[in-house]
Amino acid sequence: MAWAESIVSVLRKNNVRFLNYVPDTKIEKILEAARQLGGFEVLPLAREEEGIGVVCGQAIGGGRGVLLCPTAGLGNSINALASLAIPYRIPCPIIIGVRGDLGEFNPAQVMMGQATQDILGALRIPTYRITREDETEKLTDGALRICYASEGPVAILVTNELAGWKEGKERK
Amino acid sequence: MIDRTEASKYLVGKLKDELVVTSLANEKYDLQSCGDRARNFYNWNAMGMASSLGLGLAMARPELKVIVYDGDGSLLMNLGSLTTIASREPKNLIHIVWDNRSYAMTGGQPTATAFHTDLAKVAEGAGYPKVERVETLAAFRQAADRALKEPGPWFIHCLMEEKPVKGGGLPSPTAIKQRFMDALGVHH
Repeated sequence: MAWAESIVSVLRKNNVRFLNYVPDTKIEKILEAARQLGGFEVLPLAREEEGIGVVCGQAIGGGRGVLLCPTAGLGNSINALASLAIPYRIPCPIIIGVRGDLGEFNPAQVMMGQATQDILGALRIPTYRITREDETEKLTDGALRICYASEGPVAILVTNELAGWKEGKERK
Repeated sequence: MIDRTEASKYLVGKLKDELVVTSLANEKYDLQSCGDRARNFYNWNAMGMASSLGLGLAMARPELKVIVYDGDGSLLMNLGSLTTIASREPKNLIHIVWDNRSYAMTGGQPTATAFHTDLAKVAEGAGYPKVERVETLAAFRQAADRALKEPGPWFIHCLMEEKPVKGGGLPSPTAIKQRFMDALGVHH
């Protein structure tokens, strides 16, 4: 996956060391590209909210980390963003694998997927949607720049237009 | 039952370059009033986040001991973090949990530890390799001394008696962060 390799090489270029994640099929492609490149420290989480705390802890210690999670996981993270990353002004990049959008088969993914951008907007979190492979590097790099400049959370949405949708068992 | 203020005085007296992150609850005021220091990161209101913040910090600064100053209500909100910490096994992490069996900041409503939940057993079950349960100041001192010397991750479950806390009044979140990072000589 060229887009996943682009994301990982931009993370490397920006000195991101820690990949903290809750898995998702899109996130797995990024993790696979990271395993190929090597040199990252990968932390599996039980819940995405933990990831906000972990990224913030890494940041105040002088290390750069990102949270990788699906859209549903953003829902699990809101108060940690609002009470930690935002008021303390801690850079917290979040790479979100989009569910509940184009081609979704699972009815219970749709609401969170559709609400994601409004929720991020309500929190004034700069949000960048990657829909094409050839814009992946620019959007990821630009998002990380504003993240460290503004010292706050930034969201990067890995969309179904870019990465395809998950095939699943259709409803009866 | 331990007097948390007395125990905090002892711990603060032992600290050198260790980093401390707190929960949002009253233990942060004890820590502050027993000897405010730049290497303390006080948590205004990030519910349940102390243990996760401590893990991230322990990963970024493996050469320094990181102390999480947590409470029963706070930890109960983020119990999953125990499994994440135990799996990652940061040897420099000391997780101290003050258990007063209540939500002291909101009127003393009982937490699960007032009923059947034993947080030391939960930590053991999650896979923490070093777990101590302490009920006296002497036992707390002994556990803290060992944890500061020996590799962890440590979980020190402290049974305490809730009393009114002194102190209070924190700097702004950004001032807390900046002072902490300046003490470490790091920037984003």
